[in-house]
Amino acid sequence: MNQAEAILLGLRIWGSIGAVIAAMFLTIGMDRIDDDARDAYIFRPLLIPSILVIWPLVLWRWYLYESGHEHWARRYDPPRKAHFYVGWVLPVGICLIILTGLSQRQTWPAETAPVQLSEPTEISQ
Amino acid sequence: MSVKYIPVQWNWNKYIYDAVMLLGAGLFLYVFLYAAPGILSHERPINAQVHNARAFGACAFVMLTVILCIGPLARLDPRFLPLLYNRRHFGVMTAFVAITHAGYIVDWYFAFSASNKYEALLFANTSYGQLAGFPFEVFGIFALFTLILLAATSHDFWMKFLSPPVWKRIHYLIYPAYLSVVAHVSFGILQDQQNHVFTAIFVGGALAVGVLHLLAALKDRRTDAATSTAAADWVEVCDVAEMNDGFAKIRLLANGERVAVYLNEGRLSAISNSCAHQNGPLGEGRIIDCLVTCPWHGFQYDVTNGRSPAPFTEKVPTYNLKMDGTAVFVDPRANPPGTYVEPLRLRDGTTS
Amino acid sequence: MKQNRGPFFVGYLPAPEALRGFLLAVCVLFVAGLAGFGLAIGVAQDDPGDGAFRFDYGRQTVTGVVELTPYPLLRVTEGNEHIPAGHTLILAGTGKTNVESRAIPLEGQLAQVSGVMLQRGALDMLQLRGGRNGISAAEGAVTPMETVSLGRWKLAGEICDGKCLAGAMRPGRGLAHKACANLCLLGKVPPVFVSSQPVEGSEFLLITGPDGTHLPEKAYHYVAQFVSLEGEVERRGDLLVLRLDPETLEVLQ
Repeated sequence: MNQAEAILLGLRIWGSIGAVIAAMFLTIGMDRIDDDARDAYIFRPLLIPSILVIWPLVLWRWYLYESGHEHWARRYDPPRKAHFYVGWVLPVGICLIILTGLSQRQTWPAETAPVQLSEPTEISQ
Repeated sequence: MSVKYIPVQWNWNKYIYDAVMLLGAGLFLYVFLYAAPGILSHERPINAQVHNARAFGACAFVMLTVILCIGPLARLDPRFLPLLYNRRHFGVMTAFVAITHAGYIVDWYFAFSASNKYEALLFANTSYGQLAGFPFEVFGIFALFTLILLAATSHDFWMKFLSPPVWKRIHYLIYPAYLSVVAHVSFGILQDQQNHVFTAIFVGGALAVGVLHLLAALKDRRTDAATSTAAADWVEVCDVAEMNDGFAKIRLLANGERVAVYLNEGRLSAISNSCAHQNGPLGEGRIIDCLVTCPWHGFQYDVTNGRSPAPFTEKVPTYNLKMDGTAVFVDPRANPPGTYVEPLRLRDGTTS
Repeated sequence: MKQNRGPFFVGYLPAPEALRGFLLAVCVLFVAGLAGFGLAIGVAQDDPGDGAFRFDYGRQTVTGVVELTPYPLLRVTEGNEHIPAGHTLILAGTGKTNVESRAIPLEGQLAQVSGVMLQRGALDMLQLRGGRNGISAAEGAVTPMETVSLGRWKLAGEICDGKCLAGAMRPGRGLAHKACANLCLLGKVPPVFVSSQPVEGSEFLLITGPDGTHLPEKAYHYVAQFVSLEGEVERRGDLLVLRLDPETLEVLQ
């Protein structure tokens, strides 16, 4: 198996586990932890793709709700400081990436002539 | 503002928003796909698949650039807040446009070989040790996965289930994804393109995103400096004369929480500045029909107990207030969400 | 901090009067801007060149002597209007595949090949039909074919996959196309070196590894970049073959 196959196999395994968890969460888990989800079924298929991807996070949150470890204060603490880091990482990053990209551009060596380094050595066949 | 979840809670503004967005993206694609080929005077046309891939790729870039400008624009000038209202639909549409771009690429450049096309995408170019010729496809793959993840987790259910701060952290992935898109373009088409119209549009768009975020961050920092308070048992908010009826004063507490102190019909109440829905800044909203209304998506709360009116069930923490002369003080220890606090009644003539 | 005392938008309520003009302007600017960018970017695409599948020529069937460089060539002895006798034809399979398994048993023998031509300027190639319809032994005497060594050369230019370059894809070269080119080369599609200036009259040279090997792995990292390289050049009919010395590969500044 080459690395590309291994990566794709890994993704398939990840997604398959996610599918099992999606089935459990959407049929059993959701109604237990979210009142708004009870008797609401049409929107549930919309959630499948994300559960396939972030199922470990789903399990963790599910556990927090079931075990009562979800602390209310954490729900009102948005990561607003990140705006400040984004504010300088984004412009600096964008400039660096574009300048690096542009610096790599080549121009067609139209002026470079072929050079014969040595005479033919033999005539084969 | 869900009672029971449904796929999309439509209203007229969302219809208008989506119609304008689809019209813009549709026109971009239509003009690129059907008007441009006639104007290009190439001896032989660019392959349709490549032309399509470029149309959808460029469209996704422009859409993502517009989306990323909305946030900082709304922070710099609240008149742009309506653009924030339905931004998630814009993002989901961008994900679909980006998927179409990737589909054309994979089905063209990576098809026709003896290998699986997705494997080929991963192994065809492995020049990771160099800048020019770097497999820029991986930048696109990362950005595409991020866009799909963000689109897939855009439903209100996810915000509530993951909690707004966790949801927001996931959605901050849009920033590395955008840098990744910039790299995808810079080390891809930008290396070959001889006509620099696209280069100019690309650089202009990316710089606009960068500069707007910087300006918004600097403004946020000034605001934080102006509203931050030192640790104390009771934290001074302001003089009551500075307050306006129906509006709030925001204070950044020493523990990092923000409190919104509202004056409502001559009475003071304090709630968390973070909306239960998406942690929108409640203190930047205003009171409508006796209810604090979030400037982002219009979630409403009774300012005395932090509860959404029935049948809605959202709750935010409340804070205790006291007056010392005309100065308003807040207790930095939040009450659990939904706790009723008797409002402080002002004597007549103490406020403007 | 300054408060927003201006008009206040609530998503599920009609937009405030005072904001409508502004929002309308934003909408118009957005839609017009996107249409404008679509047009500007759409018409700013570079000319992909004149390479193409020559379906307009119809199916081509010619006869000649099969040679392996190791990429299979046909030294045409019985040609037609588009592929004259004396021409050296590069042979490729469909898609990103090669015809080596079918050409190896016929090495040095007379064979009839059939398929569709790809052409870009002086470069052409024949994409063979499947199985024995594409290539099969032909009756007749084998004319000895000459290979003339032209000595060692230092050249500047770009390593491409010959098939996309010849017109299987437009555009079919450049860094944005590098992964596709590599995938072709992994499928042993004949690689072609585009020289900055003609070598003995040829701008395009079939490029191989040293001593009759396929393009070496090292060269894959240089595909689609403008490079300088050295190698032995030989003439096979009207086609030049460059035997790359991989140690001499250098990216041009």
